[in-house]
Amino acid sequence: MSETRITCEVNGRKVARTVATHKRLLDLLRDDLNLTGTKEGCGAGECGTCSVFVDGKLVKSCLVPAARAEGARIETIEGLAGMGPLTPVQKAFHKTGASQCGYCIPGMVMAATNCLRLNPEADIDEIKERMGGNICRCTGYTKILEAVEIARDVIAGRRPEGDLDTDEPLGDSFIGHNVRRIDAPAKVTGRLRYAADMKLVDMLQMQVLRSPHPHARIVSIDTSVAEAMEGVECVITAADVPGKDGFGVFVHDQPIMARGKVRHVGEAVAAVAAEDLLTARRAVAAIKVEYEPLPVIGTPEDAIAPGAPVIHDYAPDNVVKHIPLRKGNPEAGFAEADLIIEDSFSTQSVEHAYLEPEAGVAFVDHDDVVTVHSPSQNITHHRHMLADILGLPINKVRMVMSAVGGGFGGKEDMIYQGMLALAAIRTRRPVQLNFTREESLIASAKRHPSKVSYKMGLKRTGKITAITFDMLSDGGAYGMSSEGVMRKAAILSCGPYEVHNLQVDTRAVYTNNTPSGAFRTFGGMQAQFATESMMDIAAEALGMDPFELRRINMYRKGSITHTQHRLDRASLDMVLDAAETASRWESGAPNVRGAARSDMGGPDTRQPCTLGARIVAEAADLSQGDHPTKASTEAAE
Amino acid sequence: MLTYDAYHRPTSLPEALRLWRDAPEGSRLVSGATDLLPAARDGRLGDVHLPALIDLTGVTELRGYDFANGHVALGAGTVYQDFLTDPVLRRALPCMPYVSIWFADDQIRETATLAGNLVNASPVADGTPPVVALNGLVELSKLDGDAITSRRVPVRDFITGPGRTVIAPGEIMTRVFLDTCYGYGGAFQKVGQRRSLVISVACCAALVKLDESGRVFEDVRLALGGVGPGPIRLDDSERMLRGEPLSEELMQAAAGLAAEKVASRSRRDYRRDVVVSFVRAALSEALSNAGAKAPLQTMEDMANV
Repeated sequence: MSETRITCEVNGRKVARTVATHKRLLDLLRDDLNLTGTKEGCGAGECGTCSVFVDGKLVKSCLVPAARAEGARIETIEGLAGMGPLTPVQKAFHKTGASQCGYCIPGMVMAATNCLRLNPEADIDEIKERMGGNICRCTGYTKILEAVEIARDVIAGRRPEGDLDTDEPLGDSFIGHNVRRIDAPAKVTGRLRYAADMKLVDMLQMQVLRSPHPHARIVSIDTSVAEAMEGVECVITAADVPGKDGFGVFVHDQPIMARGKVRHVGEAVAAVAAEDLLTARRAVAAIKVEYEPLPVIGTPEDAIAPGAPVIHDYAPDNVVKHIPLRKGNPEAGFAEADLIIEDSFSTQSVEHAYLEPEAGVAFVDHDDVVTVHSPSQNITHHRHMLADILGLPINKVRMVMSAVGGGFGGKEDMIYQGMLALAAIRTRRPVQLNFTREESLIASAKRHPSKVSYKMGLKRTGKITAITFDMLSDGGAYGMSSEGVMRKAAILSCGPYEVHNLQVDTRAVYTNNTPSGAFRTFGGMQAQFATESMMDIAAEALGMDPFELRRINMYRKGSITHTQHRLDRASLDMVLDAAETASRWESGAPNVRGAARSDMGGPDTRQPCTLGARIVAEAADLSQGDHPTKASTEAAE
Repeated sequence: MLTYDAYHRPTSLPEALRLWRDAPEGSRLVSGATDLLPAARDGRLGDVHLPALIDLTGVTELRGYDFANGHVALGAGTVYQDFLTDPVLRRALPCMPYVSIWFADDQIRETATLAGNLVNASPVADGTPPVVALNGLVELSKLDGDAITSRRVPVRDFITGPGRTVIAPGEIMTRVFLDTCYGYGGAFQKVGQRRSLVISVACCAALVKLDESGRVFEDVRLALGGVGPGPIRLDDSERMLRGEPLSEELMQAAAGLAAEKVASRSRRDYRRDVVVSFVRAALSEALSNAGAKAPLQTMEDMANV
């Protein structure tokens, strides 16, 4: 590995480091200068968590070879405020509550700073445009954009600086009110360290060999070449697990690395801990695995077909969980219906795409306590499972929840902490594993794709008489949170409506797809998509106003829910009133376009996405200029 | 993960050409490096090891631009952001600010070059359709002994297929020659799934010049990207419009011809539908930017019909 000496100015100070020639500017900043406020969210220029200034221009440091920093002047998030007070942009982000998980925030602050340096008068369209290269998954951008506008006005002197430190008075509700988060200063300055930002003395880097097959028997794993490589401290496989291998939020069906067979593309098969990342990657490439492909189940329908291949021996029917709900007499309910509607609804797999890819650090402390730092959304459960897997008493296992750079349910599964702990035990050295974005996409759980077959019976009056709701969900290769998701989908199945006769079945089944797991709404979204679509279809068929139809059927105080629970209060009436007013709904069936109905192209309709705010703004100036009449040469910067 | 043993930063063209001629097999030239680094990742090329990268950003001769004979000769180091920020380029190349604003994002445009976009010859490159519409020629230079020799190749001949060009070993693209189009209205239409950082499903560059009356097409330039192995110039549509008075029917007919050009193997029907609306919208936008007097239908109007 060749090395290069790089001398540059970083945040006003001269620095010189000798680094591997192939490093990126991002690596130089994070690994060699410990400036970990600059994050790596994707490594491909897509997300903007690594934005830094190079000679005054904002660039994505994951796309800049480190050697290009030679002689350059670099400014990172840590340099914006330096030792002084926060900048107006940073203070404004704090004021509006713009930082949530915080992982995108250093990049967002840099992009906002760049925008206002280039055009202190940028309007909201130009701000959006100039920040278009930075992604946030928590905020919906509203508070971020609001912060940039406040900072702009303070910098321009249109708004007193003191505004940045004072809070807006709280009105009747916290909804829509900006709340300062106490951890915002750590986030807007890049000081907060996530797991990938941790560095421990003598720390090794882990890389993981993943399955290229959706379903295959592992015939053999040969790690001898990898283990013999200089700098490789250990290679681990399922054979090294000392205790009872298996984790999962409900059923412990997943080994920390594939045991005997792989069940989805991207499943961990072996892991290497080495002195540096490159050595670990080369060692992973040197592991030889012989696979014998097995028949693949690609869809949930295939999983329940007679004679389907079996993915887990414990579940010969491939069913992870079936939740049946029964209430009243659906047959009788349909018999009294004036109208019966049948339809089916499918939803797709969805990735959480939190800006922080999975990362963790494990070590064995002086008292033999195996300690794992990771952005786990479920540390206590992880701790219990890990103790069993490692064959250790619970007091010898410690789980620390590092700052979570977005989770949305996707970090509830213990998909890598076991490998880290095992490697730390084997090497007695700290071990770190930072997923790449691609690895996060391929290995982490997704929202359950689902298919709902729906049948609804209604009276002419709009009253629902019966529902059958049958959901078949793709649980993927492992159980993870499927059981809970199916339970929640069943509980919420028929919506916030009182239905006296219902038959609800939700099932998640094993397939050889990427495992499905927890994701915001936890099964509710898939069910509500079906139910609310049915309500609109029913309103149209009955020629009835959709709000009215919902009011006729909604839960009220004293209603009995789908799971036979008597409600002592209900608020759907207020929700419907608020939604009806806010949307300026003109009463009538959904397919009627009234004179005043402004739901299409009305004042609150989001305008089509356009770009070019700054071109339009400058076009007037340009049209005044003369055409150049002679050759001119200008050196580009 | 991209690794390499050597990183060279030549400061002159002779030095760059010498390094490139003598570079070990498999070495790469980079300017922005914004395509190479994301390519060397899992799911695309995987881990890539190269003997050497030769970084052209320090080469003085590749900076700036000259005007001569109705052309602008852009140094190969010209980055996309220049088309937005440099008023001289904006006047000379009226479609390029619109191309640029849709290209990647502000940060990537600071280092990504038009020349690099052409050399990579991606079928979905945003840069090739406007260059084709501007009758682009690329200059390829190499060392012949110690002397630098150059040849010029029309962009339509330079790109021979996805990722394939006629560039020869030892050659570096040094300049891009484009027609100057003063007084034209420019436009660029692109469909993708996101506003920034999106790879085109299809794109269209348009340039329109009106005669003195403001009611007749004096010149029209149209080119499509993303709908075939290389960029496509819409010669038939241009001929149909050139010299004709502005009319909705004629523009619709000219746009309709674009559907026949779609040669993509994937999502072909969708692309055939989309390019017709695109060409129509690009013409409207270009006309509006050319200062056409009649109020013209916009994309949004068409969508709301």
